[in-house]
Order: sequence, then C-alpha cells, then structure tokens
Amino acid sequence: MKDKLTPKNIIFALLICFLPLLMFAIDDLVALLSQSGIYLGWPGGEYMLRIIVRAGVYMMLAVGLNIVCGFTGLLDLGYVCFYLIGGYTAGILMARLGVSYWVALPLAVLHGTAWGLLRGAPTLRLTGDYFAIVTFGFAELFFRIVRNEQWLVGAPNGQLRGIPSPTLFGITFNQNWHNYYHILILLTLVVFITYRLQHSRVGRAWVAIREDEQAAESMGINVSRYKSLAFAVSAAIGGLSGAFIAQFQVNISAPFFEFWESILILCMVVLGGMGSIRGAMIGAAILGSLGEILRPGLIIPYQFGNPRYLIFGIILILLMRFRPSGLSLKKHNTNTA
Amino acid sequence: MAQLLEQFINGLVLGGIYALIAVGYTMVYGIIQLINFAHGEIFMFGAYLALMLITVFNIPFWVALPASMLLCAMLGMLIDLVAYRPLRDAPRLSALITAIGISLVLQNLARMIWSARPQQFPTETLPAFFVSEVNMQTGEILNAIPLPGGGILPYRDVFILALAVVLMIALNRLIHLTKIGKAMRACAQNRVASNLMGIKTNQVIAITFAIGSALGAVAGIMVGLSENITPTMGYYKGVAAFAAAVLGGIGNITGAMLGGIIIGLAEVLGAGYISGGYRLAIAYIIMIAVIVIRPSGLLGKSTATRA
Repeated sequence: MKDKLTPKNIIFALLICFLPLLMFAIDDLVALLSQSGIYLGWPGGEYMLRIIVRAGVYMMLAVGLNIVCGFTGLLDLGYVCFYLIGGYTAGILMARLGVSYWVALPLAVLHGTAWGLLRGAPTLRLTGDYFAIVTFGFAELFFRIVRNEQWLVGAPNGQLRGIPSPTLFGITFNQNWHNYYHILILLTLVVFITYRLQHSRVGRAWVAIREDEQAAESMGINVSRYKSLAFAVSAAIGGLSGAFIAQFQVNISAPFFEFWESILILCMVVLGGMGSIRGAMIGAAILGSLGEILRPGLIIPYQFGNPRYLIFGIILILLMRFRPSGLSLKKHNTNTA
Repeated sequence: MAQLLEQFINGLVLGGIYALIAVGYTMVYGIIQLINFAHGEIFMFGAYLALMLITVFNIPFWVALPASMLLCAMLGMLIDLVAYRPLRDAPRLSALITAIGISLVLQNLARMIWSARPQQFPTETLPAFFVSEVNMQTGEILNAIPLPGGGILPYRDVFILALAVVLMIALNRLIHLTKIGKAMRACAQNRVASNLMGIKTNQVIAITFAIGSALGAVAGIMVGLSENITPTMGYYKGVAAFAAAVLGGIGNITGAMLGGIIIGLAEVLGAGYISGGYRLAIAYIIMIAVIVIRPSGLLGKSTATRA
C-alpha cells in the first residue's frame, strides 16, 4: 500500500468510485443489445451490486479477523459471534425500539467490543489453544441465545424482520448503490485504521507477540494489554459489519450466523495470507463472491451437500502445507518458530 | 423420582460415549499439543462406516464393529501422516487450521457420500437383545431391566456402558503396563528427548491416533444405537467431548473419562430440568467456566500456562 499516483492506481480508484454507474451502464448496454436480438449472460447490475456489497462486508470481516489471527497469531474460531452481536444489537434497536441507525451503529460496535474484551480476558494467561476453544464456545453460545430467547428477538429461530434502512436529511438509503457507497466508506475507514495500527508501535507489538510471546514480554511489551487491544479492535470491526448487514439484509435470522461462517472468514484470511490486510481483502473478494458466481453451476452437487465447504477445507489444508503465506507475495508472513 | 433415575442413567450412558471420544482428543493433545478438530469427524465416520458395512455389505453387527474400528484407526493414521506430520515443526496455528480443514473436508464428504438425511441402524440387523420394548397389554418387559418407579433400563444401554468401561480399563492398562504405553507417556513428557532415547516418535504418534480413532469409532456406533446418525453429529458431539477433555484436564486420560461422565450427566439433567433449547450449550458453558476458574482442569497439572 504505497500511496503513489500511478495511472494504474488512479484508474483502479476511479473504477471503485464509479462502479455502480458502470454497472448501470452495462445494464443499459445489455438492454440495448437485447433489443437488437443479442442476449448476454449478464445477471443485472442490481444483482451484481448486491454481490459486491456482500463481498465488501466479507472484506471488512476478513480485515477484522486478520488482526487477531494474522497479527497476534491467535486462532479465532468464533469471529462470527461479533458479526451476530453487531447484527442483532443494531437490528433489535432499530426494528423493535425504533432507534436511528446512526445511534444503533456505534452502540453495536461498542457492544461487540465489550464482548471481545470479555471473551479474551480468561485466556490472556493461557496458550493460544485455549483462546481457540473459548472463541468456539462463545460463538455457539450466542448462536443459541438468539435462537432460543424469543423475548429478546421477538420471533423463534432468531428471526428479526423489517429492519429499517438508515435515513439522513430525509433521504432513505435503501438502494443498492446507496449500500455500495455505505460499505465503501466503512471499509475505507476500517482499512485505514487497521493499516495505521499495523504500522505503528501497536502493530509491531502484535507481531512480536505472534513471533514469540515470551521474548515479547521480556522486551517490555505488555502482552495482556496488547492482546486485549487486538481483541477489542477486531471485535469492533465485527460489530460494525453486523450493524451494516442488519440494515442491508432487512431480515436476519440465526442460521445467517452459523459456525461455518467463522470458518469461511478464516479461510479468506488464510487464502490471502495471514498478517496481510491486502491479502485478507483479496481472499474475501475471491471467496465472498465465488460462491455466488458459481451457484448456478453448483446446483446439482448442492443436493448432496455443500461442496463449497469441501473446497474450502481442501484450500485450508493445501495452503498450510505448501504455502502458509497464502496468495500474498511475502514468503514469510507467518512465523516459523 | 423414577424420571430422575432414568435421566441419571441416560446421562451415564451419554457420559460413557463422551468419555470414549474425549480420550481421543486428550491423547493426541498430550503428545503433540494439537487440538485435533478432525477427531469428531472420525467418530462420525465410525458410525457411518459401520452402518455401510451392515446395510450395504450385509456384515453382521459383531463383525462390523471391529471392522469400523480398524477402518477408523487407519483413517486417523492417514490424517496424521498426510496432514499433521509435515507440519510437526510448523507454527501451531498452521496445524490447528489444517485440523479445521480436515474436519470440513470429512464432514462434507460424509454429506456427499451418505446424504444429510438422519439414519439409524436397521433394527433387524442388530443383535436381538438391543431391541427393548414394553408390551402394554401384558406389562411384559422385553430385553430390559425394570427400574423402581416404572422406568426401564434397556440392555442396549447396559451394553454401551459396560463396553465403555471395559475399553477404558483396557486403555488404562495399555498406557501403564505395555511398552508402547510407556513410549506414549515418554513422548507426552518430552518428544525430543524421547526421540533421542531411541523411541520412534512418529510411530508412537501414529499409534496414538489409531487408538484414539478406534475408540472414537466405537463411540460413533454407540451413538448410532440410541440416536440418529447425521453428518453433523461429529461436530456437535465432538465439541461436547472436547469440553469433557478440557474439564478433566487436557492431556490427562483419567481426567477425560471423568470429564466425559460429568458432561454427559450435566447435559442430560440440564436439558431435562433447566432448558432443552440449551442442551448443547451446557457443555460449552462448563468448558468456558473451567477455563476461567481452573484451566488445568480437574486432574490436570497446574502448569497450564505454556508459551
């Protein structure tokens, strides 16, 4: 991430800024072509935008998970629980209590952060294995809470319907292109903060903890404090993603936040190369949209199960065996100690 | 009161099953400090393989049980050989992620081979004394022990519990009295030093995987006798069994047995008397509580902090 104004970078930036326009332009073009009898396999600009927005949410989640898994080197198997907490906090506040999105969003982030700290606290003095177990247990617990506690969510199975879209100055942000710019702003913010953290004292402390916890401690790094900070930032990003997805999806339910979702996000981080923000985003962009794009082709095997996860599992095994640094160019992103 | 007695026995039976799975987790962790997430899936494969042997190949139950154990032992050794051994000196995170990957592959493979439909051992293929019933007209009890208060204790449950106990004792004797057991204990203490002393550590680790997987297969078949066999059962039961291993003190085999019984009892009694919706969550709550209060578990060494 070098801020150089090369033509390539400028074109890329312009593409990102005007992507919705491009999508609608393609729509018009396809409509024009179909009038003259040419049909292309274009799924429609609105549909593409939805996929892109969802991939954007996954990018945000992957960047958040990368803080704990990539920077501090702890395995988080329940990252989805912050996504869930953010989603249900914002969703319940907005749909059931009529709170504005602009209030619900920071509350969801705070709520996520609080649980991130609480969840990590018991494992600060223990090995990374215990952290992995606790994260796993927490994700399952929260999943069961939203599924079982009807008084909280209002319907069985964690179904929360009719989450209103955010409004500002009388405009309701419910279009797909609204959401595109919405997630673009949030993602830029998250990436900027994470990038700055990574290249600061804090980021170096995290990497030091990952490489050798005892050595880091003896060099004067307060391991518990920096680990807690990583948990908090990571959880905050999860909460933010959840709050966004709640208003984007309008209806959410418990299966949306199942355990496998955590593994999917982990897979994105591993594919991109643990410890690399850019890698996490690329991994998320690939795996987050791949399932959607391949869906028509995968309909037949779908009856037998979910081959997506079979492929993800193979990706994880092969990457760990042959290329632990993932797609990223750096050879040694993960420690070899 | 009769209900409590019945629930208590159900809890014991489930606990015996959990103990068998937990031993697999704890043995592997004791030797290579790896949470073998794929162990739950091996347990699930044990049930499916036995089911396939019985229904497709028409093999009698008493042959299918050891055959499935053998196949699972081979599967466990294969996983160790292909996936874990190359990563023995890699960061622990890599091995953990690999374990998750294997778990994903096996679970979805099972879904593709055997479909997600819950299945059971066909009653006619099982030994006759497994099928208990109460004749409503005559009040005659078939293949079960009547309990005070009107409940029954099926022979099937007696069999599961007895088999679990026998296997546990056998394992305990194996660890403490045989040469391979001694080698396993040595590896658990210090793998590098054991290697220097001439113990073939890779072989010992492979045997550990084999024993753990074979016990897991037995547990899978036991679950298949009383509940449905599904591709996700490895995941759900696996986590509860893992909680049992943590409760007993991970790496400690006796602890895993004790933990299994406690988790099984807590799950059945908790589901019966507190809330059915949280049935599976009870194991997680116990697990988290143990990690907060006493990370070394009930019987573990107090030096759980390790960098």
